[in-house]
Amino acid sequence: MKYIIQTTQLVKKFGTITAVNGVDLTVLEGEIYGLLGPNGAGKTTVIRLLSGLLIPTSGEVYVLGKKMPDKSTAPNIGYMPQEIALDVGLTVQELMEFYGEIFGLSKNTIKQKEKELLKFVDLEAWKNTLIGDLSGGMKHRVSLACALIHEPSLLFLDEPTVGVDPELRFTFWAHFHALKEKGTTILITTHYMDEARRCDRIGFIRKGRIIAEGNPAELLSKTKTDSLEDAFVEFSKQKVVQ
Amino acid sequence: MKVYRCRAVAKRIFRDLKNDRRTPALMFVAPLFAMAVFGLAFSGEVKDVPVIVVNNDDGFIIQGTHISLSEEIISSLGEEIIDLRIADSVDEAQKEVEDGEVLAVIAFPEHFTEEVMNSSSPGKIQVIIDKSNVNVATPVLKSVSNAVFSTVEKMGKKAPVIIDEDPIYGENVDFMDYFFPGILSFVAYLLTILLTLISFVSERVSGTLDRLLATPLQESEIVAGYALAFGSLGIVQSAFLLTVGVFVFDITIVGNVMVAFVVIALLAVVSQSLGILLSGLAKRESQAIQFFPFVVLPAFLLSGIFWPIEAIPSWLRPVSYLVPPTYAVDACRDVMVRGWGLDKVWVDIVALIGFASVFLTISVLSLKRRG
Repeated sequence: MKYIIQTTQLVKKFGTITAVNGVDLTVLEGEIYGLLGPNGAGKTTVIRLLSGLLIPTSGEVYVLGKKMPDKSTAPNIGYMPQEIALDVGLTVQELMEFYGEIFGLSKNTIKQKEKELLKFVDLEAWKNTLIGDLSGGMKHRVSLACALIHEPSLLFLDEPTVGVDPELRFTFWAHFHALKEKGTTILITTHYMDEARRCDRIGFIRKGRIIAEGNPAELLSKTKTDSLEDAFVEFSKQKVVQ
Repeated sequence: MKVYRCRAVAKRIFRDLKNDRRTPALMFVAPLFAMAVFGLAFSGEVKDVPVIVVNNDDGFIIQGTHISLSEEIISSLGEEIIDLRIADSVDEAQKEVEDGEVLAVIAFPEHFTEEVMNSSSPGKIQVIIDKSNVNVATPVLKSVSNAVFSTVEKMGKKAPVIIDEDPIYGENVDFMDYFFPGILSFVAYLLTILLTLISFVSERVSGTLDRLLATPLQESEIVAGYALAFGSLGIVQSAFLLTVGVFVFDITIVGNVMVAFVVIALLAVVSQSLGILLSGLAKRESQAIQFFPFVVLPAFLLSGIFWPIEAIPSWLRPVSYLVPPTYAVDACRDVMVRGWGLDKVWVDIVALIGFASVFLTISVLSLKRRG
């Protein structure tokens, strides 16, 4: 198995605030890696560093074998940011077409992907609706569809299930696993601890540091806890003691 | 109505202002800026307009004294308004008017003084003038007629002196014909800059810009896409305004409108890149609005849209040439009122291309800047 993502002693400072503080992260090809932590732990900053939107203060980031930031990786990366980040003046279909075009897809492919993804995110009936008129959850679904339109081999999903109802959240995860089966590598951030059980490996992040890493079962057994939430709290305590 | 609740609302606004230091600062800086620009730009009369005098009048001798009415008139011309040069040939001087180098030629015929003094026939002064800019041409013509009137009166002559106006450009031009090219440029500049500024701040704030930058889209492609869209919109907008101008306001267009379209499209590209640049300085849409006075006032007052550049104090004039609409206004007026083509307005077009290149490059670099 080869590493799709590898960071060494990654640090990102904003003025006097250190958002990411020496993160060593490795993600293997075809796995779903979950970055778990409370709000403000540095999850989004890590994703922005990995996708080349930020330059590290120190340390190195390699994604798909390239030192980031490197635009040549962009066609293979799908990025779903935490905020809605959609053009509210376009309809769902228009926006998906736009993303298809900038990834250089043919008209036929765009049409086919649109159909497939609209069905997946359950927005077929809303395809001609302005994004600004959709509910928060619907906007999240459109955002995910846009990130998937070019069938990326690496997917960065920043809190993709926030504001999504439990039923659809279940569908999302089923789709993430279907993508994994096709060979897509997924790095997902969340603060929903129960969701993290569905990841192959998870990293607990707190105050910009990875405090524990492993598959969910390992982490539970190490802390002798029943839930990942308790495991996170346990690792946090250990870190404080250290 | 409860006073404590009103007080809480007011307090919230003051706290908001305290946290956003730029707004209170702007509340004092913007009026100061507006007063300064209005005061400086509007305080001056039309000054230093280049005019050539061709004096063929050989004067007249009365009771052994040589007198020259033409010399008297020339010395009475308003020194403030007119920047006088002397030439020998009317044809050569006229060429300078045609090329836009000088505004007018005042030509005195050979026996001007003699004809007036003998009252044999009315003395005729030929004024070859560019009337495309009525705001400049009118004070110059007024200055000539004042000089003639005062001289003739001083000499105690009742013989008429005819000022024969010979407009090179702008014959029958009224204020609307002169004003319209300015409005065209101002509207394109203002709307483009504001639309780009607001939409780009929104792209930054909502995260759509980040999302775009995480795709294969290059920063230069984003800026070029904006330029293409706003350049085209500029053309459509000017076509619409020109149609309204011709059919509703009855304006006269002498030259090739396609050249004016090119100029407006270029101005729109300059404006959109300026909008992108300014967007980097605003954290939210409400802060973007604060740039309004700094964007509008210099263009409004210093680019010759409403007020001729010749009326701006000479020390402030160089600033006019740092304001991009100045070139668009000048070129559109040259094309639409004077009927000039690309061969003559290329300087303005090159200046606009220069502005566009610089602003587009800086816009791309500003987008490349990562945190």
